[in-house]
Amino acid sequence: MQRALESAIAELTLGPAIAPEDSAAIAAWLERHELTGDDARALTRDFPRLLVYRTLVRRNLRGALESTIPRAIARLGPRFDADFAEFLDESPPVTRLLKDVTPRFLAFALPRWQRDPTVPGYLPDLARHEALQIEVATLLARPKENVLAELGLDDQVEFIDAARLVHYDWAVHRLPEDEASRALPERARISLLAYRSPEHEVRYLELGAFAAELLSRLLVGRQSLRLALTGAAAQLELPLESELLGASARLLSELAERGALLGKTPMDLPITPTQLG
Amino acid sequence: MPEQAEPKASARPSQAALAGVGLGLRWDFLEEVLDGPPPDVAFFEVSPENYLGRGGYYPAALERIRERYPIVSHGLTLSIGASDEPDPSYLRQLKRELDRLQVPWHSDHLCFSTAGERVLHELLPLKFCAENVGRVAERARRIEDLLERPFALENISYYVHPGEPEMQELEFINGVLDGCNAGLLLDVNNVYVNARNHGFDPHAFIAGLPLERVLEIHVAGHEVLASGLVLDTHGERVVSPVLALLEWTLERTGEVPVLLERDNQVPPLAELLGEVRVLTELSARALARRAERHATRA
Repeated sequence: MQRALESAIAELTLGPAIAPEDSAAIAAWLERHELTGDDARALTRDFPRLLVYRTLVRRNLRGALESTIPRAIARLGPRFDADFAEFLDESPPVTRLLKDVTPRFLAFALPRWQRDPTVPGYLPDLARHEALQIEVATLLARPKENVLAELGLDDQVEFIDAARLVHYDWAVHRLPEDEASRALPERARISLLAYRSPEHEVRYLELGAFAAELLSRLLVGRQSLRLALTGAAAQLELPLESELLGASARLLSELAERGALLGKTPMDLPITPTQLG
Repeated sequence: MPEQAEPKASARPSQAALAGVGLGLRWDFLEEVLDGPPPDVAFFEVSPENYLGRGGYYPAALERIRERYPIVSHGLTLSIGASDEPDPSYLRQLKRELDRLQVPWHSDHLCFSTAGERVLHELLPLKFCAENVGRVAERARRIEDLLERPFALENISYYVHPGEPEMQELEFINGVLDGCNAGLLLDVNNVYVNARNHGFDPHAFIAGLPLERVLEIHVAGHEVLASGLVLDTHGERVVSPVLALLEWTLERTGEVPVLLERDNQVPPLAELLGEVRVLTELSARALARRAERHATRA
């Protein structure tokens, strides 16, 4: 009985709505979940009251999304209702942690938005950027007291765990925080390093093309400093001369001052999995 | 009003370290707790789901609060009554978190909140039947062993019973408690809400519970819908009838930690502390009356 009930309640709360006056639909719902006899009669009788749980479940899950990607939801308008309904029906949450509902929703919704010409082109980047804020704010960080500050050319560079390198096609990070704003972002290739400061604030650093390529190789590709510098210069067809080396040194130094870069990866520190946002 | 025999003090799990009135710790006033004048609360309660798998500000802030106040833990998603076993990876994470916080006990709800892999993030009522009594009691025994600390189950608010009940709610709760060592987290507001929605006497209900097993008491506010349905929202002040029921209950349980829950429309901390003071005075009155009664009997 409990398994059948769970399945029935899951459909009732996450699936398409069943009208309380539609007795045929209610009967079909019970049959789908093999609920029969006295239980089926009681559930039919109490069906309008059962719908309270549909409201509560949807309100809780919607609240989790509204608290993390409020501007994207506001700009989607009524379209979000349809996305949310289809998300619950087709790819409902499987996590006990509400913070993980948003990534699951975005994994479901982003490809749909990208395919749909009625959704503004910048909207997926805006939603990703809002979710990035929460992700970086809450990333687990391993203790790294054993990282040495000195960094040689053949060393791998150790960043804090709470750092993500992301790329957008729109400058959504410059949009106002105001949910009511409908200002449009500039179309531009943006690379952003998001990291959590020692004071637990999420901070962003907009990167130029070379800096983005260099950090991608260091942070994501886990290349040594020498390989990353030569690879990035070759990729962008830039001569690796003193000006570029100086700019790279200033970038790494600034990241260290900001608390995002720690130094040389020690041999005993496990390699971080790919950190591409 | 119905009476019952005095609880046997020895039957209650150890809670010597904790007494008085606590407050559910919410992020809305976390900074105020840390940076303002120390709030006069006996303890804070947290939901581990809000801290599991999370780094950054909130876990760090909780660590600082733990240095100043006792913390107890109240879970939301164990789903002890579901047909599937509780998620082992969740239980491992939970155990680590409880150890880190050094909580004296952990509680969760007598309900289900999952359907297979799907997590519904709502406390859903179990059918009051023997099959569920047996399954939940057996799991509660194992969970208490696994968590290595006392475990308590909370009576939930429910708006409809799912199907045809084999027994009443009271028999269901008592059956589960009879079959395990778990304590009872008695939510007095939930009893009141259920009594209003399902038409029973809340005093008789509480009197029928094994009050010697009450490990902690919760109170909160609720909302009455236009339809008359009472919803357990934790979004309002605790109403007078619930305060009166709490006082009546404490007179019968003796000293038990009481927690004020507020999850929605969270007001400024000062307002919540005002409610905590009311609860503290009420507890003192109830315990004084209980002591008088004992003295008279002696």
